[in-house]
Amino acid sequence: MFKPTAPIWCPGCGDFGVLAALKKSLSDLKIEPHKTVIVGGIGCSGSIHNNMLVYGYHALHGRLLTTATAIKLSNPKLTVIAAGGDGDGYAIGGNHFIHTLRRNPSIVYIVMNNGTYGLTKGQPSPTAQLGYEGTKEIPFEPVLTALSFLSTTFVARGFSGNQQQLQYLFKEAITHANSGKGFAFVDVLSPCVTYNDTYAEWRKMVVDANAIEGYDSSNRLKAFQTAYEIIQKGGIPTGLLYRSSGESFESMKIQGNVTPAESDIDPKHNEPLMRSLVERFR
Amino acid sequence: MTVLVGEKEKSPSARQVDDIKIMVGGQGGDGTLTVINLVGRVFKHMGLYSYDSRNVLSRIRGGHADGVIRGSAKHVLNVGDGIDVLVAFDEEAVTSAASELSENSVVIYDSSRAPLNRSLVPRSVVYEGKFGERAGTDLKRTLLKNTISFGVLCRVLGVEDKLAESVISARYSRRGEEVLSSNLSALKLGFELASQMGVRAHFVIPKLGANDTIQIDGDAALGIGFIAGGGRFYAGYPITPASEILEYLEANLPKFGGVAIQAEDEISAINMAIGASIAGVRSMVATSGPGQDLMTEGIGQAAMSESPVVIVEVQRTGPSTGEPTKHEQSDVNHVVYGGHGDFPRLVIAPADAQDCFEMGYVSLNLAEKYQLPVFVLMDQELAQNTQCTAAFDFSKVVVERGKLLNSSQLESVKEYKRYELTSDGVSPRTIPGTPNGMFQMTGNEHNEWGMVSVDKENRGSMMRKRFLKVEAAKEDLPKSRFYGDEDADIGIVSFGSNMGPILEAMDMLRDKNVRTKFLCLRTIYPLPSEELSKFLDGVRLAFFVECNLTGQLAGLVKKEVGYMDKVVSLTKYDGTGFRPSQIVSGILSGLSQAVKQS
Repeated sequence: MFKPTAPIWCPGCGDFGVLAALKKSLSDLKIEPHKTVIVGGIGCSGSIHNNMLVYGYHALHGRLLTTATAIKLSNPKLTVIAAGGDGDGYAIGGNHFIHTLRRNPSIVYIVMNNGTYGLTKGQPSPTAQLGYEGTKEIPFEPVLTALSFLSTTFVARGFSGNQQQLQYLFKEAITHANSGKGFAFVDVLSPCVTYNDTYAEWRKMVVDANAIEGYDSSNRLKAFQTAYEIIQKGGIPTGLLYRSSGESFESMKIQGNVTPAESDIDPKHNEPLMRSLVERFR
Repeated sequence: MTVLVGEKEKSPSARQVDDIKIMVGGQGGDGTLTVINLVGRVFKHMGLYSYDSRNVLSRIRGGHADGVIRGSAKHVLNVGDGIDVLVAFDEEAVTSAASELSENSVVIYDSSRAPLNRSLVPRSVVYEGKFGERAGTDLKRTLLKNTISFGVLCRVLGVEDKLAESVISARYSRRGEEVLSSNLSALKLGFELASQMGVRAHFVIPKLGANDTIQIDGDAALGIGFIAGGGRFYAGYPITPASEILEYLEANLPKFGGVAIQAEDEISAINMAIGASIAGVRSMVATSGPGQDLMTEGIGQAAMSESPVVIVEVQRTGPSTGEPTKHEQSDVNHVVYGGHGDFPRLVIAPADAQDCFEMGYVSLNLAEKYQLPVFVLMDQELAQNTQCTAAFDFSKVVVERGKLLNSSQLESVKEYKRYELTSDGVSPRTIPGTPNGMFQMTGNEHNEWGMVSVDKENRGSMMRKRFLKVEAAKEDLPKSRFYGDEDADIGIVSFGSNMGPILEAMDMLRDKNVRTKFLCLRTIYPLPSEELSKFLDGVRLAFFVECNLTGQLAGLVKKEVGYMDKVVSLTKYDGTGFRPSQIVSGILSGLSQAVKQS
């Protein structure tokens, strides 16, 4: 078997915090490595699967969600975690992000969000703050977007500078997905110390919604309103913002108890049913 | 109502025929294709082989639409030349068919809008009646004009009224009492109008014994082969002429524990198929040229990560949006060369519905045995036209999963490396869930463990490893079909739905003392060089018949096999497939030019 490699990230990169929290969460939850698939995107963060002894797949740029969705649909017994960057998920993969929010497959999606394309030397990403590298585009707000989809069941945001909160969010996300409740989305503020070092700034801006008295994470409208108000006041909403239960994509797509990975593909066993398919063409 | 009886009866007695072509034309939504289907059932009951093709515009309603159905005592795989009977719901249907109407043809015309301008069809017997108007007044539903016209048509064909009734009953009995009775009334009205118009039987069609065939289109045949071969994951985006595969599998795959997904685009579809494949599920996507454009990056990813995946490419008229509903074979280069970098792939091409069924599972076996993308290259006519074929033999279906390790097999492996260098280039693989089988799969260049590597020596080994698999796959690839006279010195090389018209053209050429032989390729890449060399060595000239402008298959053969001086391109790119007579005249003119040049 392969040996996990050391991360390729710059010293101080926010992604170290994500890796540490993810390892701790999987280990605390006693998730078996051979039943775990981590799908990485393209970009610095997208190499995270190389650093863990699990089944790893390095997807095409922006396509990790479609790949991960299909893995889950093929075998719902697996823990499936997609982990990539903000350029990967919100720019080139934006279409798939929208449709995954809509479908609600029981996978975890971790976005290491730093507002920049670090690997290609610092171009602005869709979440770049206005003015970064001269960008004139209003930043994309992934959390509000996710909350605005009627189908979403788990929306959270963490900060790699807050290990305790991040571990809590990851554990809750993995548990949500593994109990077949649907898509567990965690946007993680994970600064790029080389091209967009926002540590100090973000530390001041983060507001933990769960610490607000009376915050109800089961109320979508309240969650949206609170997050929106925090943003309007110049802050960044974090925490487990919204959680509910809905039908997962895999439970709607798979008929009966047999999963595609377990289905009987022996042609001899399927012959009678196959013959019945042909009858209609006689 | 006004009844105009055809006055130009050239042959008063009914003609004995063993091959007949009927066209039904009108506006989209007129129910023309329903009439085609009804005639197909009539032929089936009479023991005739049928083949039908539909010509529709890319719009839901309106615009000219027609369908052609051919019934024959012989097994036929194309609509053939000429039209013997035309059922027309408007004048445009007559105008567009006029040049194809054969001598002594019959035109059944719905004159509800206006009487037919007879000068359009000087060689035909015409029966015209106000089918639409009568359907509206007598039956309160104008659309029933199609069933009325079917009644008239059956009288022209000499089909017994009883048979026509049973076909109508079989089709509409499941749609409720009201639908059934109104259609039976429409049929009866059709018979009445036929009698009033003085319709007589113009044809005597033989009644043959029942044959054990099915009437199926290539798309459905492929879908059945895919399920039979253990395909359990399908992702697609709606696109003509591949949508039928999506619809077929959405309806039927779940019965077998599988999943079919309509993706948000083709980029998503191909990456979903890769995901399913990684999870150990046999997976497929189907698309047409524009979707193939979007999938191309994913094909390279499948090849680089060594993920087995099947891509069905149903060609239509390109480039760009082209003519979405029309036939072409211009994506040969696309599937053979498309994508950045050098990577291995296989391209196989079914020529009839039986091939579609077989390649549905053969492609899955190839993909898993050699862990690479496998294209099934189809074309619009093969995919959407309905043909007769022997009922599929499921006892032939085999599932070969190649070097797939289960946990006990994995225990005997000294050191598991997902991309282990082996003599045939194929590495043993595991699927997630297998203890101690963890891997890293990636589209980056990688070493044997799947870790990213830019080592120069490793790069060479890995590039060669991936291409070794193509060599290893050669013996497993579908063999070409050979037809004709072994010692003929005129060759024909082609693929896909061209096979049908070519086989008939060969008979027509033989009648003109031109003997030919035909190599029907069922593997396009890697080209079967030995088969091709042997075939081309034995001919003076080889006509490469294909539906595209630039002669893509001919170009590929010239580049990879040679024989530049023997290869003659016979191409067509008007949005329709070849007719036998077009191949005959193309070959005859090619031969006379060759004589002039020598």
